Amino acid sequence: MALVFVLSVAFGFLLSRSGAADFDVIQHMFLFDSFHMYGLLAVGVGLTAPGLWLLGRYGRTLTGKPIQLAAKPIHGGSLPGGLLFGVGWAMTGMCPGPILVTLGEGKIYALAVLAGALAGTWLFGANYVRIQRFLKLPNLTTGTGAG
Amino acid sequence: MLLHDLEPWHFAIAGAGIAAITLTLQAVGNRALGVSTGLEEFCSLASKAPYFARPELRSHWRLVMFAGLVCGGVLSSITSGPWQPTWNAGMLDTRLHLDHASKIAWFFAGGLLTGVGTRMAGGCTSGHGIYGMARMQPGSLVSVLAFMASGILTANLLWRVIAP
Repeated sequence: MALVFVLSVAFGFLLSRSGAADFDVIQHMFLFDSFHMYGLLAVGVGLTAPGLWLLGRYGRTLTGKPIQLAAKPIHGGSLPGGLLFGVGWAMTGMCPGPILVTLGEGKIYALAVLAGALAGTWLFGANYVRIQRFLKLPNLTTGTGAG
Repeated sequence: MLLHDLEPWHFAIAGAGIAAITLTLQAVGNRALGVSTGLEEFCSLASKAPYFARPELRSHWRLVMFAGLVCGGVLSSITSGPWQPTWNAGMLDTRLHLDHASKIAWFFAGGLLTGVGTRMAGGCTSGHGIYGMARMQPGSLVSVLAFMASGILTANLLWRVIAP
């Protein structure tokens, strides 16, 4: 847990200083006015990919167990969920990590985004069994996947 | 320009940093990067709905991550100037001129879509965009294409049609 905390502080600092938690930077990404965020994501994904592949193949945890990589199969929520999130991201200029980062930076309205995101999560979870069949979501114990 | 008029880091440095953090979390912590499931861990503290009783949410490690992300934001601010609460929201202020109450409603509505959407899709920019794309996972590919498409559409509608 100490490791998770330290890495998350570093992640938050990086999201703040890279512009990934900045309203205007996100708008310029969506408007194709700036290459910055696409470059950032491409370098991030490009370096993470071989690293995760190596970890999955040869990696062991400190206690000697194999490293477990997460799988993300397609399900009924992949497309509609992504579409809804994109509208939310463009409206607020924040994806979930930056909601917390901008809160730390002192942006008051991040509290409203956090409240909305928690309300949305609760709304989704509390109604999961009702919408599960219509949206072809995975069974309840699996959920839509962690991420 | 970012808070305290900082210039953003070069994208290659920031991208390399994100990769280093993702790989360290997986190699040492044996955990897959993903922020939005933390919203469910938060809900699991207060809600009795069976969806929030899933084993995935039991360790609450993502709540520790939430605290770390907030601290990272604080650290970024106090190391570059005085920390002070602000309503400043860049383009939203200069183009839409919303008062505080409308701003709260706007951001709450956007947050609501983000909450429902990320949980329906099973991930956000970190879990699907970085981790899932790096593993070429089909669910992540579909979700990333979907949220980029609807984000591009929304931003263009907002800043090129409604409030140019």
